[in-house]
Amino acid sequence: MSARAAILGRVRAASGPHRSDASVVHAEARALLADAASIRPALGAGSLVEAFIARLTSPRVAASAERIATVAGFPAAVGAYLQARGLPPRIALQPEAQLRALAWAGLELHDEVAPDEAVAVVCARWGIAETGSLVFHSGADSPVLAHFLPLHHIVLLRAADILPWLEDYAAATAGQPMPRNVNLVTGASGTTDIEGSLVLGAHGPRYLHVVIAGG
Amino acid sequence: MSALPGPAAAATVVSFRRRVEAALADPTLKTAIERTTGNAERKRAQAVAAFPAFEAARERGRRIKDHVIAHLEHYLLEFERNAIASGAQVHWAASADEAARIVVELCRQARARRVTRVKSMLGEEIGLPHALDAAGLERVETDLAEHIVQLAGDRPSHIVWPSMHRTREQVSALFRRAHRAPHREETIEAMVDSARRELRDKFLGADVAISGANFLIADSGATCTVTNEGNAELCTSPPRVHIVTAGIEKLVPSLPHAFALLRLLVRSATGAELTQYTTFHRGPRRPGDRDGPQEFHIVLVDNGRTRMLADDPLRTMLRCIRCGACMNHCVVYRQLGGHAYGGTYPGPMGAVLTPVLDGLAHSRDLAHACTLNGKCEEVCPVQIPLPTLLRGWRERSWRDGLEPVTLRLGLGLHTFVAARPRLYRLGLALALPLMRGFARGGWIRRMPGLGAWTAHRDFPAPERRSFMARYAAGEGRRAPADEARR
Repeated sequence: MSARAAILGRVRAASGPHRSDASVVHAEARALLADAASIRPALGAGSLVEAFIARLTSPRVAASAERIATVAGFPAAVGAYLQARGLPPRIALQPEAQLRALAWAGLELHDEVAPDEAVAVVCARWGIAETGSLVFHSGADSPVLAHFLPLHHIVLLRAADILPWLEDYAAATAGQPMPRNVNLVTGASGTTDIEGSLVLGAHGPRYLHVVIAGG
Repeated sequence: MSALPGPAAAATVVSFRRRVEAALADPTLKTAIERTTGNAERKRAQAVAAFPAFEAARERGRRIKDHVIAHLEHYLLEFERNAIASGAQVHWAASADEAARIVVELCRQARARRVTRVKSMLGEEIGLPHALDAAGLERVETDLAEHIVQLAGDRPSHIVWPSMHRTREQVSALFRRAHRAPHREETIEAMVDSARRELRDKFLGADVAISGANFLIADSGATCTVTNEGNAELCTSPPRVHIVTAGIEKLVPSLPHAFALLRLLVRSATGAELTQYTTFHRGPRRPGDRDGPQEFHIVLVDNGRTRMLADDPLRTMLRCIRCGACMNHCVVYRQLGGHAYGGTYPGPMGAVLTPVLDGLAHSRDLAHACTLNGKCEEVCPVQIPLPTLLRGWRERSWRDGLEPVTLRLGLGLHTFVAARPRLYRLGLALALPLMRGFARGGWIRRMPGLGAWTAHRDFPAPERRSFMARYAAGEGRRAPADEARR
């Protein structure tokens, strides 16, 4: 007998003779999500953008944030970030149409994220105010490694794309095909593996900087 | 690479008592444990205090897990169907050996030389490190703690912080010996940087990546991994093949159910609201994708889980989401650390699981190494009645005749005497003066037959006469005046 048949047989035997209809199981599963407000944390005070920034810059997440009026101001914000840290004006830019369409004069751009890339500039699909998380989908214009190889991870997020809770991301994407990778990024890479002390930049980025446009 | 035999063997080679003695004699272990578990305890408490709905969320989390356990067949089939539709290949393994064999065979088919691993307790459970080494593959552990464990040739001692038994000085020495361009400064930052440099090209040059899963999402066929370092994504994006190994209890109905459990898991494990990286994988690379594996395999592992499913109340252990809170709050674990438990999983959850995985005959001591103070159940994010399950193993060990002859004889004698009040009183009347003869200043420091007790603490000297003797003599009876005052 195959392992599959053996395992399913044992599961069936252990679960007893009663078998629920798929529709009954699904209804039960849905009921377990009812009254979501009673099982999730409250958001921070102020607007959704303010609540998001408060989580993002809290000591536990420890990212930095700045606000700009419109997306058009993003290249200037990136330039200023590099200058303030004495970084050369060279960035790996996510091959995404709207990002590419911005005026990047004064910055040297490349597509491919190098193994020791200093700075990668990307845009997030959504932000989540509850946790200060950014959501990325993998795809033809969105390599996963862009979020993990660089030392500085600079992210553009539109204020209108900030969702209140984690479940709102599930609701926002319901019915759409799921990408190969969904990456929820909450701060820079960190480890507490040596004597419990938090050190940033373990394998992934050491710095996460989020630029929020609009709102 | 691994210097120790697999989990099952380790439990038998050295006795529990010997492992405990070794742990207690280790001069730095207690400090190392206290640093990590003390920190974890504080951070969890803060996270729970900042989440007033925690209790309600915990109750819901338990119900979600119980729902999946009650309908496991339904969810396994739904997950399999959707995973295959996403282009994943699904494999089933009844035992640890079979699971390890499947993974090694997949590596062979991929003609793999270098394999990167993302920390996974299931991988440890099925003996994957050993199996990969035995197959002649270059195994690269990429979680910083697992990297330390691999360099030291030892085994994980905690399910969240596997190298918590190592001090920074020990880590520094290991890195200096093994890294190509080791740190120059004696800081933890510099050591972490050294590992970053060392592992970077290994991520990119691997043929196969192997990870575990924190959740399997039934309605999409996706798997979910949580990490803080980002090593999971650096592992799973570059190579041609990604293999996920997961226990069949990891299923959840849908993404929002996973979110409900993530809120509990992360707070209970590290005190954060969410891990830095929470990643969902669904199938292999899509047309046009810039990275990602060509092949995506999922190995669903039983290895004792269906036996637990058939056993009430052991079934409740299938709720476990591997947060480690029970060990961080366990008075025994905090004295001993993880290695003394001898199995893959330490602490209270390990003491419940190890008899399932390695057999009760090899692990019956674990259920006794528990004060039944109930702290583990109190902090468990899915309300597993751990003390009840541990008592269950004690009872089974007695029923199966696994307890030592001395204990069986002793208890038999006690039962015989205790059921005969006159004999009992006579024995007591003889024993009390004898014991008092060994006492100095109200305490017995040494006495034949009491060695196991007095080796570690003094025994209080008994009263001159037993309670029953004094009661019979009329001592301490309430005077009528006392009654009147009540």
